Amino acid sequence: MNILLMLVPISLVLLGVAIAAFVWAVRRGQFDDLDTPALDILEDDDRPSGRPRERNARDAG
Amino acid sequence: MGRLEQPGAAIACHHCGEPVPDPPVWLQVDGEAQPFCCHGCAAAADWIRDNDLGGYYRLRSAAAGRVGDDVPDLGDWDRAELLDQHSRAVDGGREIVVLTDAMRCAACAWLIDRALSREPGVIDCTANAVTGRIRIAWDPLRTALSPLLRRLALLGYRPYLAAGEEIERARRAERRRWLLRLGVAGLGALQAMMFAEALYLDTANAMPAPTRDFFRWLTFLVATPVVFYSGWPFLAGAWNELRRRRVGMDLLIAGSTLLAYFASLVETFRGGAHVWYDAAVMFVFLLLAARMLEQRARNTANAQVDALARARPVFAVRERDDGGRESVPASALREGDVVRVAAGDNAPADGTLLDGEASFEEALLTGEAQPVAKAPGDPVYAGTQCRERPARLRVTGVGQATRLSQLVALVERAQAHRPPVARLADRVGAHFVAGLLLVAFATWLFWRQYMPGRAFEVTLAVLVISCPCALSLSVPAALACVHGALAKIGVLATRPEALDALARASDVVFDKTGTLSDGKPTLDGIETFGDFDPFRALSIAAALERDSGHPLRIAFAPFDKGLPASAVATHAGRGVQGSIEGRSWRLGRADFAAGGAEDDDRLWLGDGQHGVACFQLRENPRADAALALAALRQQGLRLHLSSGDAEGPVRRFAAALAIPAPHARQTPEDKLAMVRKLQDEGRTVAMVGDGLNDAPVLAGADVSIAMGEGAPLAQSAADLVTTGAGLWRIPEAIELARRTRRVIRQNLAWALAYNLLALPLAISGHATPWVAALGMAASSLLVTANALRLTRVRPGRTAP
Repeated sequence: MNILLMLVPISLVLLGVAIAAFVWAVRRGQFDDLDTPALDILEDDDRPSGRPRERNARDAG
Repeated sequence: MGRLEQPGAAIACHHCGEPVPDPPVWLQVDGEAQPFCCHGCAAAADWIRDNDLGGYYRLRSAAAGRVGDDVPDLGDWDRAELLDQHSRAVDGGREIVVLTDAMRCAACAWLIDRALSREPGVIDCTANAVTGRIRIAWDPLRTALSPLLRRLALLGYRPYLAAGEEIERARRAERRRWLLRLGVAGLGALQAMMFAEALYLDTANAMPAPTRDFFRWLTFLVATPVVFYSGWPFLAGAWNELRRRRVGMDLLIAGSTLLAYFASLVETFRGGAHVWYDAAVMFVFLLLAARMLEQRARNTANAQVDALARARPVFAVRERDDGGRESVPASALREGDVVRVAAGDNAPADGTLLDGEASFEEALLTGEAQPVAKAPGDPVYAGTQCRERPARLRVTGVGQATRLSQLVALVERAQAHRPPVARLADRVGAHFVAGLLLVAFATWLFWRQYMPGRAFEVTLAVLVISCPCALSLSVPAALACVHGALAKIGVLATRPEALDALARASDVVFDKTGTLSDGKPTLDGIETFGDFDPFRALSIAAALERDSGHPLRIAFAPFDKGLPASAVATHAGRGVQGSIEGRSWRLGRADFAAGGAEDDDRLWLGDGQHGVACFQLRENPRADAALALAALRQQGLRLHLSSGDAEGPVRRFAAALAIPAPHARQTPEDKLAMVRKLQDEGRTVAMVGDGLNDAPVLAGADVSIAMGEGAPLAQSAADLVTTGAGLWRIPEAIELARRTRRVIRQNLAWALAYNLLALPLAISGHATPWVAALGMAASSLLVTANALRLTRVRPGRTAP
């Protein structure tokens, strides 16, 4: 039964990590809108933020 | 009398889906020329294409908002007063939440995200299509707010102020707190049940006492946050109920949870035979999930109400005594001030129009999208939009005294009213809980005499097993699911009780204007007098109406031969006057154009003394009206038409749709009386309307549905709101409401049967607390699963 002494703390730590991750995600607003992100993967967007090209174009003009 | 069809089907704008004018604006999109209704929409599509965001058109499930040719002046958004009040400082800049009414699907949110994050100076941006809110964080050193909002406006999303930063943040924080509670409860409950499982599997009592106690303390450790952090809403609710000396569901939930928790703690200390932590955590988690589901459904529906906020402008331009102008907050206006309203802006207060005619769009108040022409001295209402020409107003009412505020108060009062059914449910629930507590107490007394060792365990089992969990889940779970399903077909319910009434509806009353018709008049017939050529009459009428801006123009446009008209003048409510080929013509009401005769609902062409032709105009049913009505009839509903329009057109319109006995020339009071009469006959009336002039009738009917294009105000007064124009949603919604009623009945029947079966078992000691908790959980899951069936929408299926 000594294995329990290791497994139980591990499970508690994992639980703590899971809760911490959840709290982090909620605070960051990951659950605020559950519809829009679903569309993001449907549309290929090679430029992550799109900013560099846009700004260059503006600077040039 | 000949029937003349309008040539050419309406072409829809590629961007906003509105019918395009003739000629449309053409633009190359993806190698194909696409028609647009205005330069604004074309420019938006152009920008979207140039920025590689063309995916928007593929992703969207609803058309965008119309951009229009005039972009509003957003300079006021940069003023310090506004920014101080409505935005807050964040890391590296400021953050504001704006509201827009044009966001109709997730693709809009996608587009806004991409479009704004490409603007320089934007730190972060999130758009939420469900609530219609856009959160923008920007760096004030690199950009002002107005260019960002201008970008939004150019894409068709005109920004409005949200209800205030404080409320906004409070709402978001509340939602996140609930989510955290649920997450902690879920994870904690899972872990606690795993530890409890280890104890349960030890059926032969082979586990050494220290190991057993170790597990019990572990379970205690993970159960504590679940009971006190996640379960806090129940504990607080129970405390409230106690203070108000009432017994309710919260008291029962908190009571059984705390009882199980503390008794387990005592047993853990004593090293007793049983602990019941698992029952406590399972309880909290499942009930929290149920509450969350219900709340989510309600939030979605309430997002619509915020549209009210947008009608009130933040700043007004006041004229000083010396004739100069100053921009002041709308709240600083006083009666007697003179304000200027620019074209495209909303009036900041009620007032009377000074010098010069102007037109105001009163869609918000009346549901009529057509601007109303106002003469000097006419009243102008706060929130109505000034069109075409700027206007000067003398303020007669501000703040709470405005018509808009009064209407808002009316709507809010109506919404605060709880229907009798809900109150009855509360009372029955309270009695049920009180009865249950008595039964539990009696059980405890009995077992104390009979077998003191098991008294507590059995009592706890009774409390847990008979908790009307499934009972309390059965309705909200079904409602949450049906709200999701309704949202998918574009219907939002603002009151959960509305669905029940909708399912029971036996009669549907339509208000004609804008509800069944498409709002575009067409020419039905023409009668000429003497030997006047009908086609000449038509071309004269077309020339007169050409630049009038009146909806009737559409009816005559196909017959325009390009006759030059000069000195055209519009007489509000009566007609147009102008000179063509040297002759003076009038087109309008009989008494205006043809002299003498009374208004007979027909349009006359004449010189003011004698008529040469008269036109019969007709409103067309919406394209899907016939189909939708057929579906409604198939559902066994009686249809009625009640309209404020004149006898003749209403009769013809009803005949075209085969609606028996239409009521014409109805005032709102008449419509209400008709609804009351039907209700007296024992019918359940569903009212379908579109504007706020319907509001009393909408409130009087058992259930009301407002069509999406109508006034936002009316929408919030209605029980159900459609987000699009399609009439097919009504039979679909009724079908869903009926399915919901069936599911709720099945759920209630199951929950009651379960309680009736389980209670004797628990009282007689045949169920241990864990069996009770498992039974309760299974029962709850069953009703939730049954409710989930509602989320499956079967498109195209309208008949039950």
